Amino acid sequence: MHLNNISGGVLAGDRLALDVTVQPGAMAQITTTGATRLYRHRAGARDSEQSTTFSVGENARLEYLPDPLIPYAGSRHTQRTRIRLDSGASLFWWEVLAPGRKAHGESFAFERLRIESEVRTQSRPLLREDFLLEPAKRPLGVTARMLQYSYVASLYVCQEGKPAAFWRNLEDALNAEAAQHTRSGETMWGASTLVSDGVIVRGLSTSNRFIPAALVHFWRLGRRALTGEDPVPPRKIY
Amino acid sequence: MSSGRGPVFEPLGYDGGGLVIPANDVSLLRLLQLADSAIPVGGSAHSFGLETMAEEGSLTPDRLESFLHDHLQEAGALEAAFVRRAWRARDRRELSQELSARKPARESREASLKLGRRFAELLNAVIGAPVLDTDVHYSVAFGGAGAVLGIAEDAVVLAYLHQSMAGLISACQRLMPLGQLAASRILWNVKPAIARAAHSETNQSEEVWCFSPYPELASMRHGSLETRLFIS
Repeated sequence: MHLNNISGGVLAGDRLALDVTVQPGAMAQITTTGATRLYRHRAGARDSEQSTTFSVGENARLEYLPDPLIPYAGSRHTQRTRIRLDSGASLFWWEVLAPGRKAHGESFAFERLRIESEVRTQSRPLLREDFLLEPAKRPLGVTARMLQYSYVASLYVCQEGKPAAFWRNLEDALNAEAAQHTRSGETMWGASTLVSDGVIVRGLSTSNRFIPAALVHFWRLGRRALTGEDPVPPRKIY
Repeated sequence: MSSGRGPVFEPLGYDGGGLVIPANDVSLLRLLQLADSAIPVGGSAHSFGLETMAEEGSLTPDRLESFLHDHLQEAGALEAAFVRRAWRARDRRELSQELSARKPARESREASLKLGRRFAELLNAVIGAPVLDTDVHYSVAFGGAGAVLGIAEDAVVLAYLHQSMAGLISACQRLMPLGQLAASRILWNVKPAIARAAHSETNQSEEVWCFSPYPELASMRHGSLETRLFIS
């Protein structure tokens, strides 16, 4: 399924909400038709907001593969994503954050970006990441944040109920792949188990051109480990 | 700062000579011991990803102070919030589970849990009673200890962050050419940033923010360094 409604861009004050339920045993692949562009804040408007919830039923599978988030100069935005996995449900989810319109020379010129992400099972949270980015107040290009990189990418692979040893093996395989994709000073990747039931692959990059191919490789490794088969990429990009 | 559970132990008392021992004096001394880098919980075996950063040349003696300053605004504020929440909480295990979900890098997450367990076991043993859960993160155990001992919340948060910074600086002394005077000066200079992180506005609300992708990546990639001085 392709989501079209945000392809024009998100304007100041917009409030977008999407709630998706994947029924038990069903499989859904959800992507966007293009990058999510966040336009400049307008005086008097609220920060734009995009809230997405996914409920993934028993033994169902969700692949959520949106295009990059591009915060234009002066934009203010909140993105909330909440994903709940029932017993045996699996998740493949990637996110890419761009620094702005690179072609216009924009880099971290947005005003404020909140990104709140949660993945949980019935019994516990697997992932909570709450980013508050205000580049004018707290510069992003520092060692404690993004070093000299300008893009940050994440892939989450989860399945409720798999044992810890399975995830440690997948972490090792993903880290070996991550080393293959790492080019010092240009792009850097690493993987880790989550506290349970999943792994994260994270990347930093000076350019978007390294990111899609790397994410597809990690996604493929994850799919082979979880389902024994290769993933089917969304037809548009690759 | 706000109400929490009262102390389980009564620090106020009379000694044999009838002298009143001020409760705050004993609390301060206990806090000094809990936050001392010599406390045997194994903290010196962990760099929390700094070893990778030093190895890659992204963390150097001249960049350490500004790194810690920025780090305190992110991971520091996160840990401060959890010390504070643990001080106030009833269910510290659930709190610790949430913190685990907020630590995506396994080595750093496991290090924090290991130090928390050893800290809690040590305090339980010293006191002679199981006052703390032992399967919680270091910041959660530390906040819990402060509440159990009746030590003021703000002091507990500050002390936790201070010992945490002292630990990172000490790790750096083993990773890079950083002398004792330079290390002392850095710990001296980051105190205002520690205080800001302890009182960061995010601590006062339900919201906790942390954005530190490079330190997390450094922790995720630590296992693939050829030689390692540190467990994390």
